[in-house]
Amino acid sequence: MSDLKIEGYEFKPGFKGMAKDTGSDQTMFKGVHWGKAMMWIFLLSDTFIFSCFLISYMKGRGSTIIDWPNPSEVFGLHVFGVDVPLLLIAIMTFVLITSSGTMALAVKYGYEKNKKMCGWLILATAIGGLTFVGMQAFEWGKLIHEGVRPWENPFGAPQFGSFFFMITGFHGTHVSIGVIFLFIYAYKTFAGHYDEGKRGWFTTMKGDYVEIEILGLYWHFVDLVWVFIFAFFYLW
Amino acid sequence: MDKTKKQEQTSTHKIGIYLWIWGLLFVLSFFSYMVDWYQFQGMLRWSLILFFMFLKAGLIMAFFMHLYWERYALVNVLLWPMTAIACFIFLMVAEFEYTVFTRFFYFVVGG
Amino acid sequence: MSEDFNDNKTIQAQSSEAISGGGSGIATDADYVRPAEVADQDLYHGHSFITKWIFCQDAKVIGVQYFLLATFTGIIGLILSWLMRLQLGFPELVPFMTAEHYYQFVTMHGMIMVVYFLTALFLGGFGNYLIPLMVGARDMVFPYLNMVSFWSFFVAVGVLLASFFVPGGPTGSGWTLYPPQAILEGTPGSGWGIMLMCISLILFVAGFTMGGLNYLITVLQARTRGMTLMRMPLTVWGIFTATVLAMLAFPALLVGALMMSLDNVLGTSFFMPTILKAGEVLEYGGGSPILFQHLFWFFGHPEVYIVALPAFGIISDLISVHARKNIFGYRMMVWAIVGIGALSFFVWAHHMYVSGMNPWFGFFFATTTLIIAVPTAMKVYNWILTLWRGNIRLNTVMLWCLGFIVTFVNGGITGIFLGNVSVDVPLSDTYFVIAHFHMVMGIAPLMVIMGAVYHWFPLVAGRFLDEKLGKWHFWLTFLGAYSIYFPMHYLGFIGVPRRYFEMYDSPYVTSAVGMNEFISLAAFIVGAAQFILIYNIIKTLKTGKPAGHNPWQACSLEWLTPTVPPEHGNWGDRLPTVHRWAYDFSVPGAKEDFITQTTPPSEVAHTKVEKT
Repeated sequence: MSDLKIEGYEFKPGFKGMAKDTGSDQTMFKGVHWGKAMMWIFLLSDTFIFSCFLISYMKGRGSTIIDWPNPSEVFGLHVFGVDVPLLLIAIMTFVLITSSGTMALAVKYGYEKNKKMCGWLILATAIGGLTFVGMQAFEWGKLIHEGVRPWENPFGAPQFGSFFFMITGFHGTHVSIGVIFLFIYAYKTFAGHYDEGKRGWFTTMKGDYVEIEILGLYWHFVDLVWVFIFAFFYLW
Repeated sequence: MDKTKKQEQTSTHKIGIYLWIWGLLFVLSFFSYMVDWYQFQGMLRWSLILFFMFLKAGLIMAFFMHLYWERYALVNVLLWPMTAIACFIFLMVAEFEYTVFTRFFYFVVGG
Repeated sequence: MSEDFNDNKTIQAQSSEAISGGGSGIATDADYVRPAEVADQDLYHGHSFITKWIFCQDAKVIGVQYFLLATFTGIIGLILSWLMRLQLGFPELVPFMTAEHYYQFVTMHGMIMVVYFLTALFLGGFGNYLIPLMVGARDMVFPYLNMVSFWSFFVAVGVLLASFFVPGGPTGSGWTLYPPQAILEGTPGSGWGIMLMCISLILFVAGFTMGGLNYLITVLQARTRGMTLMRMPLTVWGIFTATVLAMLAFPALLVGALMMSLDNVLGTSFFMPTILKAGEVLEYGGGSPILFQHLFWFFGHPEVYIVALPAFGIISDLISVHARKNIFGYRMMVWAIVGIGALSFFVWAHHMYVSGMNPWFGFFFATTTLIIAVPTAMKVYNWILTLWRGNIRLNTVMLWCLGFIVTFVNGGITGIFLGNVSVDVPLSDTYFVIAHFHMVMGIAPLMVIMGAVYHWFPLVAGRFLDEKLGKWHFWLTFLGAYSIYFPMHYLGFIGVPRRYFEMYDSPYVTSAVGMNEFISLAAFIVGAAQFILIYNIIKTLKTGKPAGHNPWQACSLEWLTPTVPPEHGNWGDRLPTVHRWAYDFSVPGAKEDFITQTTPPSEVAHTKVEKT
C-alpha cells in the first residue's frame, strides 16, 4: 500500500496490468512488501486449514444419524427471565468486529505515522481480542458445566461437542496468538521502533509501519474466520 | 479498474470509508442474528445465512484487508485456489449424503 | 515478454542485419534493464561457529543441513526396506521379525521416504540451495524464519525416530494411517506410536510452512533485475509450484492428524464409527472413517506432485545442459508444471476407488486423473525432443537423466492402468500398485536426486565427483531397481496382495516365492550401491578434481557467482543482471556453445540468439 511509483515501470489497470505485472522482472506483486506478501500466502494456507475443519464438520454433521443439537438453544442465554438465543455469540461477534474496525484504523494511522493514535488503537484491538477470548472461555465453561464434552453431550450427536471444541479452540488459539502480538506491537509502536527502524529482537529486520498492516491482515483474517464459524456452526 | 490512480495515495484512505464498512458489518451481523431470532427455516434460512456471510467476508477482505485496492496479480493469486476448496465442499456434500444413505439403508432399513 | 523488454526487438532486427552485413553500431540502450525496485537485502552475517554452521541463516547452509538430515532419515528408510525384503524373500529367516514389526517397518518406511526424505530433500535441500542462486537473490527473504524451518524439521525427525523407542513401538497402520485401525488396540503402536507420528507430522507441516513461505516470496518478490518468471530455470518453476501445492495440501494433513490425535487421546469420534470388538461395543460411534481418507488424500495426491514437480524441473535443466540444447518447448513445460499442479487438487479420490465412497466419484476422478496424464506426457515428449539431435555428453549426470525418463515413463504408464476404476479394482492392494508408485515416485525422483547431486556437487564443494564410481553407482541402481520393481508388476497380476507379512501356503507360492527371493537379493544390492555415493562424496571432498567456475558450461545464474562455492550473500558487491533465459545453448554464431543469462544483448548481437 505504499506509494506506487516504480522507476521505468508503467502500471496498467485490471487484467492487462495483472499480465504485465506477472510477466515483469523482479517482483510479481508490485510494491508489496515481502512481509505482507508472506502474510497473505500464509493466510491462504491457513484458509485451507479452516476450510478443512469446516468441511470435516459438514461431513461429520451430515452423515450422523443421531439428531444434531439445535445450536440456537444450546448457545442461548437466560437473562432477566427471558431465553435469548445465541446472545453470547452475538456479543462476541460484536466485540470481534469492533476490534477489527479499530485495527483497520490503526493501520491507517500507522501509515500516517501517527504514533499515538496508532498505538492506542492497537491497544484497543488487543483489549477487544482479550474480551473475546474471555467470553469464549466463559462459553466453554458454561457448556462443560452443562455436560458437553468432546466425546459426548446431553443434547444429541456426540460429534457436536467434538467439532465445537476443536474448531472454536483452534480459532481461539489464533485469537490468543493475535492478542499477544497486538500487545507486543502496541509496545513497539509507543516505543517508536517503527519510526526509527529499530531491528527486531529475533529476526534483525528493520522495523517499519508496514508491520502493522501485516498484523492487521492477520487480525482481520481471524475476524473473517469467525464470520464463517458464526454462519456455519451457530446459525446452521 | 481505475484504482491504480487511487493507489498512489493509498497509504491513507479517507477515514469515512472505514467507518462506513465498520457500520455495515454491524448491520449485517445484526441481520444474520435476526435470521436465528425469527427462526427462518429451510432454504430461506440457508440462503440468508450464506448471503450475509459472503457479504461480510467480502467487505472485510475488500476494505479492511485492502484487497479492493490491491493489484489484480495479488487478488487472483489469493482467490483462485479457492476453487479447490469449492470442489472439496461440493464432493463432500455428495459424500455425506451417500454415507447417511448407506447408514439408513443398512442400520435402519436393514439392507 | 512484456513491453519493458522491447529493447530486445531492436536487437533482433540488428542481429539479422549483423549476420548479413557488418556487425557494428549496437545501440547501448539495448542492454538497458529496469533499475532495482527493492533496496538490497541486508543480511545477518554469522561470526561464531554456531551462527555460521548450526543456527545459520544462510540459505545455502540450511539447504545442506536439510540435505544431510533428509539423507540420514532416508538411510533409515532404506534399512527398513531391507528388513522388509528380508522377511518377504526369506520368511522366518530373521528370528526377531514378527508381523507387528513388519507393519511398523512398512509404515515408517513409507512415511519417511515420502515426507521426511523426498519432500524435505527436494524442497528443503535443493529449494534452499538453488532458489536464491537461480533467481539472483542474496538469500531467502526471511533468513531467520528459514533457520527455524530447518530446526522444526529437525525436531519433527527426532519425534518420529523417538517412536521407535516408546512402549509399543512406532505405528504400524501403514503410511496412510487409516483410522479406525490406526488407533485401535491390536494395531502396533496404536497408543504412543500414532501419537508421535501425528505430532511429528504437525511439526513438519509447521516447519515446512515457514520454509515454503520463504521459497514462494523469494521467487515472487526477490528476483534480480531482468529475471522474469519466464526466464527462470525450470528447476525453480518445479520447486516453486511444488511449494504452492505443499502450502495448500499440508493443511489437510494437519487437520487430519489433529483430529486423529483427538480421537486417540480424548476419545472423540471424528473418524471412529460404532465398533464391535470381541462382542463388545466400544465407546466410539457415529464418526466417518472415510472422511480421514478424503483429508489424507486431499493432501496425499498433491504430495505425489510435491515430490514429482521438483524432479521434473531439475531433470529439464540437467538434460538441457548436458545435451547442449535449449529445452524443447520451455513455455509448454512451464504451463505443464503449473497445470499439473492445479489439477492435482482434483484427482485425490483415485486412491480410494475401493474405499466405499460415493460410487459416482469414480467417474469424476477417473476423468480428472486421465486428464492430468496429458501435461505429464507433454513433458516426457519435450525431454525426448530436447535430447533429439543434441550434442549429448554421456556422463554420469546424463545417465541418471536417461534412467529417469525410462523409469518415469514406465511408472506413468502403469499409472494410467490404475487411474481407470475398472482396472484399478482388481489391481488394488496388490504388488502392481507397489511397483507403480515405487517406479514413478520412488525410483524416478531418486534418479533425479542422484543426477542433481552429480551435477551440483561441483558448485557446492568446488570439486567433481568421481565419474567411474558414479557410473558404477548408476548402473547398479538402474538395473537393480528394474530387477526389483519389474517382477512386482507380475506379482500384482497374479494377485499377490501388498502389506502381507507372509504368504504361507497360498496358491501363488510356486511362482511368487522364487521371484520374491530374486527381488530381495536385488534390493540388497541396490541399497548397498547407494553407499557408493557416500563413499564418493567423502573421497572427492578432499581429493576430487577441482571444478573451477561453471564447469558444465551452463547458462543459469547459480554457476556465475564470483566465488565457487558461493559465499554468504552469493553475489559479492553487485547483483547480477539477467538478459535472457537459462537455455541459450549452441546458438549459431556464438563463440562458445552457451550464452550465460547475464550476457548483455550487445555482446551477442551478431548471433542468432532468440528473444526470450
